[in-house]
Amino acid sequence: MNELIPLMVIVPLMAALVISAFSRFNTLTKALAFIVALCLPIIPLASNYGLHYFGGYEPILDNVTNVMYHPAITYSFTFLQQIFIAGVGLLTFLVVFIYLTKYRKVSGPYLFLLFLGTAAVTAMILTDDIFHMFVFFEILALAQVGIVAASSIDYSYEMALKYMILGSIGSPMMLLGIGFLLALTGSVNVTDIVAAVHNGLVNVKSPVFLLSLGLIFFGWLYASGLPPFHTIKSGIYSKAEPHGAALLQSFTVISMISIVLIMFRIYSTLPIFEVLIVFFSILAMILGVSLALTQTDFRRMIGFLAVGELGFIGLGIGLGTQFAITAGLFQALNEIIITALLFIGFGAIVNATDEVDTRKLGGLLAQHPKVSIMLLIGGLAMAGVPPLSGFQSKLMLVQASLSCGYPELSILAIMVSIATFVVFVKTYYTMFLKPKPKELELEGKEVPRSMIIVMGVLLVIIILLGVFPDVVTNGISNFVGGIL
Amino acid sequence: MKLYDQIFDVVKQFKKLFSPGPVTNADVSGSITAEIFLIVSLVLAAILLRHVNVLLAGLVTLILAVVLIANIPLIPKFKIEQEDSLEKMLFYAIITLAIIVTFMYWGGNFV
Repeated sequence: MNELIPLMVIVPLMAALVISAFSRFNTLTKALAFIVALCLPIIPLASNYGLHYFGGYEPILDNVTNVMYHPAITYSFTFLQQIFIAGVGLLTFLVVFIYLTKYRKVSGPYLFLLFLGTAAVTAMILTDDIFHMFVFFEILALAQVGIVAASSIDYSYEMALKYMILGSIGSPMMLLGIGFLLALTGSVNVTDIVAAVHNGLVNVKSPVFLLSLGLIFFGWLYASGLPPFHTIKSGIYSKAEPHGAALLQSFTVISMISIVLIMFRIYSTLPIFEVLIVFFSILAMILGVSLALTQTDFRRMIGFLAVGELGFIGLGIGLGTQFAITAGLFQALNEIIITALLFIGFGAIVNATDEVDTRKLGGLLAQHPKVSIMLLIGGLAMAGVPPLSGFQSKLMLVQASLSCGYPELSILAIMVSIATFVVFVKTYYTMFLKPKPKELELEGKEVPRSMIIVMGVLLVIIILLGVFPDVVTNGISNFVGGIL
Repeated sequence: MKLYDQIFDVVKQFKKLFSPGPVTNADVSGSITAEIFLIVSLVLAAILLRHVNVLLAGLVTLILAVVLIANIPLIPKFKIEQEDSLEKMLFYAIITLAIIVTFMYWGGNFV
């Protein structure tokens, strides 16, 4: 059923447009949003692996050079795409579920942005066309800006505007890099570009090729929120609604791995490419965690931790071996789920207390025991405590860096995990365990039940991935073996 | 004794970091952890230079350790540089471009 492959993008895209057009009818909008959101994780699970050529243009074999050319925009659907699209689909469903149950009157444009973002990241991870990827990268950036600007949190407009201004630097750089690649190879199809590079048709030492790497790499830093964009990325997470932030971070992670996998296929012949990735990943890990340690706004704290965790993904990709890349991609999947749990859990606390400053909170364990226990387990998973999913991926990363001959990176990864643990213990203590401040009023404020249900679902996935990591890692490893 | 005074002064300087709100024990502990984490992790990362040149790695690690310890507290300085100011974000974006160009220019020799 390869016809289902384009539907993974078309369904959320059409739903976004239809929901926005009929947003005056509240019940219809709610019903439609719920049904479409429910379909999102089902479609990738029901679809077969394979390729889809838009317009039906099959690859053409050049009989002279014996090289295959791809004239159509091609979607490639393998286990990796399946697991990530199903993951973001499930998260979109859970976020839409929270949103629909939280508000009596829903906003069509807000749902439009949520579905548009999901469609964009799905297209980014499916496509084998670098320009197509860029178009959806731009659409995603606009959807992210909209989701932040639509929140009711103070200064969200300002933060969204800053993100857009920085995007106006990062995106054209990436487009220019893609333009240089097109000029060198005559194609925007990634498989064709890779074939040109590996067959020696492109001089990898040429300044134009190196410049294209530099420009696309800079755009990737913006997309993934690695330094110097870690501040704005954590800022937009903290200014979005909690369920919106949960989805935003998943968009970031998937756009990060989509772009870096394309870059890896094209530029892996250049050792400097892996050095660059490792350099910025280390920087993200150090800055993210050290800044998280000094935050008093717990939404911002999770934002910085999320950025620090991105460093682990980059580290796996940068090490470049099959095992390391598998570990990095597994870490990406874990981060999507764990960080979503934390954003929704801490969002539930904001909902119940109207307070984000940890210094003004306390004694919440007695008031919200279910949320606090699930948040505790989520935090432990992020810090890499066994037997949770974060432990498995971080252990793999430590083993990968040791086997690559970089014990410093292993020690650094362990230190970052310990510092993450400290951040979480400190925040957990100040919010849940220390005595409740007299000024804090908690009467009549409850956590929405939908948030607790969603946290429960995410927690089950975290535990299952921790106990049975092979279910995911074997498939990812096979995919990585194919691209190496 | 001078180093001890300097470390003690760090705690006092953290007060400014959390102003205008109150400073709790947990916040100060977190900041001290961040301070130590920052120094150790940067020094550790510098050791990676041994893959380029062992002597260079030794020199850079030693100099970095001395410079970082002599300039504590680092976290307030880091935090000020990484606030939500658009000017600072743009400045660091340009610095990053410069770093990438540097890597490309000299790193091209390792192709």
